[in-house]
Amino acid sequence: MSDLLNILSNSNKDIDNQKLMDYLSGKLSEKERHEVEKLMADNQMMNDAVEGLQQFKDQKKLDAYVDQLQKQLNTYIQKKKERRKAKWFGTQYDVWIFISIIVVLLLMLIAYFVIRNVPPK
Amino acid sequence: MMRSDKHAEFSDQQLLENYYQDGKAEWLGILLPRYTLLLLGVCMKYLRNEEEAKDCVQQVFLKAITELNKYKVDYFKAWIYMVAKNHCLMKIRDKQGRQSVEIKDHHVQTTDELLDGNPHIEKDELLSRMSNALEHLNDEQKQCIILFYLEKRSYQEIVERTGYTLMQVKSHIQNGKRNLKIMLEKKREGENKNR
Repeated sequence: MSDLLNILSNSNKDIDNQKLMDYLSGKLSEKERHEVEKLMADNQMMNDAVEGLQQFKDQKKLDAYVDQLQKQLNTYIQKKKERRKAKWFGTQYDVWIFISIIVVLLLMLIAYFVIRNVPPK
Repeated sequence: MMRSDKHAEFSDQQLLENYYQDGKAEWLGILLPRYTLLLLGVCMKYLRNEEEAKDCVQQVFLKAITELNKYKVDYFKAWIYMVAKNHCLMKIRDKQGRQSVEIKDHHVQTTDELLDGNPHIEKDELLSRMSNALEHLNDEQKQCIILFYLEKRSYQEIVERTGYTLMQVKSHIQNGKRNLKIMLEKKREGENKNR
């Protein structure tokens, strides 16, 4: 009877994707099925996700879809990283240009004073 | 076969904290893929179209990357679920040209909260209240709750035993569970008022 108190639990327990896939393809035992379904009853996201995933016509394609989405995400994050790097180098580049201009101006100033202070022959 | 998470030693919370510390999107590149399958399911449930669901997951990822940069999120799973759901509803609304209400998280009290709020209630007392509340459920809900939580039957077994459809079984369990919580909360509120 103490299992009654389980009704009050709002589980935030996670389920690994492989187990979810096995559940969808009916590979789990009755006991394991009940465990997954208990998580579904406790967790609205899980419940929505399973109901949605069951609507895919070809369950076998799910792996490929997930793979494709993850690759797209990785590409985006990689690009973001490169943009960040380029921005950093861009900033560094600006600093060097600024330093070069200052150095050139200083050299011109020194040259000016040197030329001015050389006594005429 | 699903690829296993190479960074399983990091919890969602740790990955988020790392991201907030150094701002490197690579941390999100570990965190977000953990939710690809769940998000794909959630988007499919609301949009009922495979291509749209895939696009939606991609958009949710981008939205997450942008939004996480702006403010601190404490409970990632609940947050990403809300982002996905609201994004789907926005898409449905755009399609239908109708107004839709934004979904807000509904907080339901858990066992600990029901006990914490009232230290006078012992677990045994809570259990006896639960059994009592169970008797007040309608027959369908009571039957499904007993088969699911006490006899630990799967949805399919309950369908076969009761003759209800899968949707009915799920709905009886959900509604029964909600009604039990409401009954217990009401009882507790009544006691607090009398004190």
